[in-house]
Amino acid sequence: MNEHPIIEAIDVHKRYGAFHALKGVTARFYPGEVTAILGPSGSGKSTFLRMLNRLEKHDAGQIFIDGIELNDDPKHLAAIRREVGMVFQNFNLFTHLTVLRNVALAPMRIRKVARKAAETRAMALLERVGLADHAHKYPIQLSGGQQQRVAIARALAMDPKVLLFDEPTSALDPEMVNEVLTVMRELAHTGITMLVVTHEMGFAREVADRVLFFDQGSILEDTTPDRFFNDPAHERARAFLAQVKHGF
Amino acid sequence: MDWIRHHPGAAIFTALIGLLIFLWGMAIPLSYAPEPIGPAAELFAEGTRVTVGLTVVSGLAGLVLGVLVGLGNLSPIKPIRWFCAFYVWVLRGTPLLLQILFVWLVLPTLLPAEWSLSDFTLAAIALSLNIGAYNSECVRAGILAVPHGQIEAAKALGFSPFQTFWDIVLPQSMRIALPALANNLASLVKDSSLAYAISVVELTMVGYRIQAESYQPIPVFLTVGAIYLILTTAFTTMTNAIEQMLDVGRKR
Repeated sequence: MNEHPIIEAIDVHKRYGAFHALKGVTARFYPGEVTAILGPSGSGKSTFLRMLNRLEKHDAGQIFIDGIELNDDPKHLAAIRREVGMVFQNFNLFTHLTVLRNVALAPMRIRKVARKAAETRAMALLERVGLADHAHKYPIQLSGGQQQRVAIARALAMDPKVLLFDEPTSALDPEMVNEVLTVMRELAHTGITMLVVTHEMGFAREVADRVLFFDQGSILEDTTPDRFFNDPAHERARAFLAQVKHGF
Repeated sequence: MDWIRHHPGAAIFTALIGLLIFLWGMAIPLSYAPEPIGPAAELFAEGTRVTVGLTVVSGLAGLVLGVLVGLGNLSPIKPIRWFCAFYVWVLRGTPLLLQILFVWLVLPTLLPAEWSLSDFTLAAIALSLNIGAYNSECVRAGILAVPHGQIEAAKALGFSPFQTFWDIVLPQSMRIALPALANNLASLVKDSSLAYAISVVELTMVGYRIQAESYQPIPVFLTVGAIYLILTTAFTTMTNAIEQMLDVGRKR
């Protein structure tokens, strides 16, 4: 791919006190790419993801999203957050609002879309994730898988160029994992850029264009799923795969 | 009560209309009561209106104050936090009666002479400051109880800090804080009686004067007590109903 990268991280560091969580991470992501970010817990993969929309601040290095530098400038931050959607492990739906309102609120507040137009679009998105019938329920009335699908619709309502997924299926009962992965699989074919921190090896192998393997705050492997799963370059990656093998 | 739970809107409407009818019409049935109540019916009604006026004005001002101070207590700016903590410390640590007397005697000397605040206004200021301190702690607890993940989700969607507060944190924190705020309001109905000390003629003061003239404290104070019970019942019916209305998203 010879386009401009939509996300560019250059020598990014993050420390929590004495713990060096990210040790000079450099990576470029191109439009339309679906990247699975794998690695043992504590390897810095979630920290890296959360840094891309500044839920965590990086201590050193530079991050550019669609050419805009991510820094303390609130205008930059607002522009970047409009382009980058996020789906969380624990869904984080607004529990006091109906499903429809959860999806329609951000376009109304941030893009100043009229309520009616925002709700029409929200209905269409809920239709797409198979939850149009639940539009007027509250999040607590839905199952975990349904809540996560609402969260995906909520992120999509802002028309982001990039979607970040932070372990989107880790908090789900096993029988609900698939309904969420199905939605994500469909999304992967729409041309949206996706970065997915996950433990779902099947998803990484079948859907991702690219795999990043994090270990101890660095990217150890940056390769294709095929290469990563069949012939990883590093011993640590091999050990990791041996441990999670039962997952696929 | 089940009825309030199922029809909160109707409950608020009924309690509000009931309270208004009571405030403006109570003198009529009361005037048929025997001595010493009947002849003083209009005085009881006027005292009740003053008590309700004090409660509503200080209750609303105290709510706004409670939200502001509760937020200030969580501010990242240290001097704001110190100021709010100091305010709560002083107002919760001294008697309300002292605060009322202090505001009554000291505030007018600090303000331009042409302002000349009424005793009612001064009492309302003191009561607002007092209940505001108590409310701020309830609001603070409510804000802290909103799950942090929702705040992160709002940030990630691009909400400004104010939008996050207004659309996400405030509605949920008020729902959590409401039972405690309602408790404070119920106390306020009765604490407003301390305004008698600065010669505001509210319900307790009316009772005190009538029994002093008639030498019949028992019927007078029973009447006063009954009126307070009716007022607190109306207020708690309303706050319970509001609680039910805000309880969306929590019941299955």
